[in-house]
Amino acid sequence: MSARIAVPVFPGTNSEDETLRLLRDCGGNAELVHWSQADSLAQYDAYVLSGGFAYEDRIRAGAIAAHDRMMDTVIEAAGNGKLVFGICNGAQILLEAGLVPGTGSIRRPTAAFTRNAPAPHFVCRHVYLKLAIEPARCAITAALPEDAIVPAWAAHAEGRLAAAPEHLREIVAGGHLAFIYAHSTGAVDQAAVPNGSALGCAGLVNREGNVLAIMPHPERDAWNFNHLDRREGDDVLATSGGSALFRSFVQALAS
Amino acid sequence: MTGVAIGLKIPDNTAFTAAVALRRLGIAVERVERSEIWFFEDQGSALIERVKADETIFNPNKHRVTLLDEAVPRSGEVWIEPLEARLPDPSTSSGEGRRPAATAWRLFGPNEATLDRESLAAAAERLLCNPAIERAVY
Repeated sequence: MSARIAVPVFPGTNSEDETLRLLRDCGGNAELVHWSQADSLAQYDAYVLSGGFAYEDRIRAGAIAAHDRMMDTVIEAAGNGKLVFGICNGAQILLEAGLVPGTGSIRRPTAAFTRNAPAPHFVCRHVYLKLAIEPARCAITAALPEDAIVPAWAAHAEGRLAAAPEHLREIVAGGHLAFIYAHSTGAVDQAAVPNGSALGCAGLVNREGNVLAIMPHPERDAWNFNHLDRREGDDVLATSGGSALFRSFVQALAS
Repeated sequence: MTGVAIGLKIPDNTAFTAAVALRRLGIAVERVERSEIWFFEDQGSALIERVKADETIFNPNKHRVTLLDEAVPRSGEVWIEPLEARLPDPSTSSGEGRRPAATAWRLFGPNEATLDRESLAAAAERLLCNPAIERAVY
């Protein structure tokens, strides 16, 4: 029986359907788990926290959700080595929960995806994520090629990595910087960064390599109907799209 | 510089959510008040009139404004301030970002007694403040 993937739905989550659909199109055995079903969450083998505005971003983006009962289960599961993948608001929740970069204690964050800069406004922009670690460093990226380029959409007002200088040094030294913003060619410069993120960071991984948090949405550039760089034939999934990362996630569960 | 606290006079769902979350974290809080702290050059009634005329931060249908006696948190209150200097917002004509200086959280226990410093610190550490980007001022 294939591994079961839960897509937890908090009050205010809004990207669960496309996340679920892409997981299934990539071969994953995925289900939505509503916050009222929190008790069932422990039965799953992996978790994908999708985008949205959990609890309306009250206090800070991800702050309330990080203390939700569902996150009790996700935190315990991550500690037991299960895969946890957060996208956008899901990534903010993982930072608030202290699961990534994981350099502090649980629910004592050492970093934040916070208000964009220099303009502190919502950004909706097509971006490219460049894998900045050895693929095998993170189980979720293990099936990607080295220096993989993953297209996605940045759609956030609070996606800029911010942390104290010592914690930024820890992120670099510990190999937590999983994805950085780049151009489609792989070239890296500030023009590729949509939000002023420190280190050009688009995604972080924990020390053990089983929790990954990325701000942009690869599921919004994954099928040929929403893939900007369409190069394939008539396949539903765009093989050069964001589905590559989801496929890698599903493959990690199969191996 | 004189400070004002701008809070909601309609039900504050964020404050209610914070109260529920803090209780779950073991903090004996009955009620939470939230307000935004702003500082201006004006003083007294002129300041109040200025704030009430600034529709970008004050809506008379839902906000109330309180003049602060001192530029420090009140009893039972913690201010959560951003660590970073305010970044200029290039989209505004003045070049200034329109953001409050802090978010104030005032915590009340049984019989409307304000919570002590230790409880405020626990609330800030466990929920209200992300030390990566904010600091708590008591």
